[in-house]
Amino acid sequence: MEPKICNINDPECHLDRIRGWHGNLEANITTLIENLKNIREHSEEAKRACSEHYAKTVQLTKAKTRFTYEVSHELKAPLASVYNIINVILDGYLEKNVKRQKELLNRAKVRINDVIKLLNDLLMFSHLEEGTGEIEIEKIDTGKLLSSLTEEMDAFASENNIKIDWNLSDSIPPIYGNPELLRRAFINIIHNAIKYSNQGNKVKVTSKKDNNTFLLRVKDQGIGIRKKELPMIFDIFFRGENARPEHKKEGMGLGLSLVKRIINAHGGTIKVKSNLNKGTTVEVSFPVIQKKEK
Amino acid sequence: MPKEILIVDDDPDFVETMEIIMQGNGYETRTARNGEEAFKKVKEKTPDIILLDIMMKTKTDGIWVSEKIRSDDKLKKIPIIMITAVNQDSEMAKFHLGQEKDMEYMPVNVFMEKPIEAKDLLKEIKKLIGGP
Repeated sequence: MEPKICNINDPECHLDRIRGWHGNLEANITTLIENLKNIREHSEEAKRACSEHYAKTVQLTKAKTRFTYEVSHELKAPLASVYNIINVILDGYLEKNVKRQKELLNRAKVRINDVIKLLNDLLMFSHLEEGTGEIEIEKIDTGKLLSSLTEEMDAFASENNIKIDWNLSDSIPPIYGNPELLRRAFINIIHNAIKYSNQGNKVKVTSKKDNNTFLLRVKDQGIGIRKKELPMIFDIFFRGENARPEHKKEGMGLGLSLVKRIINAHGGTIKVKSNLNKGTTVEVSFPVIQKKEK
Repeated sequence: MPKEILIVDDDPDFVETMEIIMQGNGYETRTARNGEEAFKKVKEKTPDIILLDIMMKTKTDGIWVSEKIRSDDKLKKIPIIMITAVNQDSEMAKFHLGQEKDMEYMPVNVFMEKPIEAKDLLKEIKKLIGGP
């Protein structure tokens, strides 16, 4: 814009010019204040994000230390027992008792197998956790998958004097997923329900189509989970007070954390509701993926 | 009368093999699977020595047992050998005891880390109670 030229004898014109400058100055100051406010907000936001990040890093470091400790513990304890078994036999303590030697060697075999299973689970866990490796998926008939588990699960249930009530729908559209991983997750959930039930209890397994999702619900009448422990049940190696070894519930606390990661890797969700000493309900749902057939 | 060892561990294979070794060396044994059971058995009949696993995963762990025993006038002199699966167990135990305390303050006589060499363990037992 051309600057306004005023006649030297025209005070009104000069006053107008000064008013113009003043107006601009006011506008500039307002903009400046706005900018400063923005900067302050941004810096507060950055400070908040920074401290959040710091807290998260500290938490992760602690979790990592705890994880390494737990893994070492879970690996070393069975190996120490195997070491003892070998020493007892090598040192000739059972020289005259071949039957007992064999029994102990069989125990050693079981313990070594447990260690191998644990290592495989850990590998699968980190594979799913990092999300780096893609899982191979295929079309799965969930009805067939679940039916293939009933015999094995019924046998485990009856060993523990528990009955499974199967309510499996046969009209669920197929989902896409990794059959091995899903099988593993389903077995684990049903296995847990049996393991944490009291003798004579029932476990109800229901599968159905719910809108566009496949839903699996496993309900038990067992020992339940404490309310304060519910947020931690998916943490690796977490075991509830009710699930500790003195209650004769074997396990390492890896199962549910793996289940959750398997389900997440399939775009599914898992919900757990529980009442102490009354039972637990686990609900798993997967989107019935709409995908073009190959 | 042979001396008696109370073996406390939540791992049944470890307990069984320790029993074989100790009985094979002339000791009598009793066993417990957790802290509560161990303390109950100590009160029923005082053992000559306790092999106590730290049992970090049980509610009444090894530290709990050793503290209970050391605060009981009748029992506090029983020698205790604390067995840990991972040397970090003792670090974890420190958290349990509170940061200001150190392992020297742990109420046990000896610490041993798994895997245990039978001859080393027998030597420690002999040092503490003088053989079977």
